[in-house]
Amino acid sequence: MKDFDFLAADRLVDALLMEVADLLQNLLSHQRAGTIDLLGLPLSAACLAMLEERLGGGEISAVLHVSGESQIRETAFPGVWWTRHADETGRVAALMIEVAEVPEIMRASKADMEHGLRRLSEVTNFAQTRPAI
Amino acid sequence: MLARRGFGRRGLLKFAIAMTASLALPPGMATAMADNLAKARRQSVIWLSFQECTGCLETLLRTDSPTIAALIFDFISLDYQEALMAASGSAAELTLRQAVAANKGKYLLAIDGSVPVADGGVYSLTGGKANVSMLEEFAPDAAAILAIGSCAAYGGIPKAFPNPTGAVGVEDVISNKPIINIPGCPPIPEVLSAVLVYFVSFGRLPELDDKKRPVAYFGTTIHDQCYRRPFYDQGKFAKSFDDEGARQGWCLFELGCKGPTTHNACASLKWNDGTSFPIESGHGCLGCSEPDFWDQEGGFYTSLAGGTGPGWRDAGIAAVAGIAGGAAASFAARHKTPKPMPETTE
Repeated sequence: MKDFDFLAADRLVDALLMEVADLLQNLLSHQRAGTIDLLGLPLSAACLAMLEERLGGGEISAVLHVSGESQIRETAFPGVWWTRHADETGRVAALMIEVAEVPEIMRASKADMEHGLRRLSEVTNFAQTRPAI
Repeated sequence: MLARRGFGRRGLLKFAIAMTASLALPPGMATAMADNLAKARRQSVIWLSFQECTGCLETLLRTDSPTIAALIFDFISLDYQEALMAASGSAAELTLRQAVAANKGKYLLAIDGSVPVADGGVYSLTGGKANVSMLEEFAPDAAAILAIGSCAAYGGIPKAFPNPTGAVGVEDVISNKPIINIPGCPPIPEVLSAVLVYFVSFGRLPELDDKKRPVAYFGTTIHDQCYRRPFYDQGKFAKSFDDEGARQGWCLFELGCKGPTTHNACASLKWNDGTSFPIESGHGCLGCSEPDFWDQEGGFYTSLAGGTGPGWRDAGIAAVAGIAGGAAASFAARHKTPKPMPETTE
């Protein structure tokens, strides 16, 4: 990267990290989650790579297999998540920094849990009626 | 309904996250959109085809994010579309009237094709009824109107000089309804999908520009998003379609590219599942999502700066040479003595 490009990217990344800090402060003070849509910003690939590197890696990473693959990774800063959603063709549909205790998409919803409970009871009934070996 | 199709909350939220990103909405709206979609009744859509070539419908059926088929099953109820429905004749007309009566004031009226108004609109009829009469009959009970493609939005190619049918766009006939224009020849399918999802989620049309187009997709020009833009800034231009500049992928401005004055999302969303868009394939933008693009001064191959570009003569010679070359190759291929099959050896 040329010196000029590097300096420009460095300043953009600094500005984004300050916004992340604001969102984290907001989460701590008001329990309000926040998100930065990285695809909606005019960031070069080099700038994104620098941002990802500065945020670093944390303790948790998860892969969701829902309508394509989603990668959710906690950064070196607890509560700050790097999230990449791809569609079924592998195209990136969303790239975000989420600031939350847990990203919303990782939570199991009440409706899904109720649906799971019904399926579990079916499995249990099947197990009870299964002939003993 | 969605759970039965194996579409849980996470799938819905991911879909909403992708849609809010596509619509340039604040990311925080994804949760609200997912909640609303989970509760939403299927939105009635009544689709009328006027003076058109069916290209808009063809491209929209081939979108993949999300598929129109999935939208039909999940979020909308396509209650009338002549090319897709099984019914025909009086049964189809009955279906239309029943759908309008059952969804009075709530249905989205989708129109593709221009509205010919000359001579009482006799140049395009459905079931013996002029398109303009159908529009005037069904628009008042619609919640909003989607003008799909440049023909429905502005009159498009049927409106091109000398416009013998008196073709106009929807908003030239209807002025007292919310109208959204999704121009393009054809329009980008993902834009229609996103507009439908937005309406189903929030019960209103997204933010529009002065030409009634969704700002999220028509807020910037092709030129501003073009990957060849750095060559424009450096003054590197292809001078013909086969010179060294063209081979190096330089800017096509001097070959008549209308990217600087054309608002659309081709350069970012691209076509054919994100494969490419016209400029990436080596041809300048024609400006098909702008009003009267067919009649623009100088034609497709004259630069916006007023330069000559390759001009119609050179473009014509190139086209004739290409056609002649193709014909010669085709003739040679058809009259070539087939090669004997190679013998196989054990």
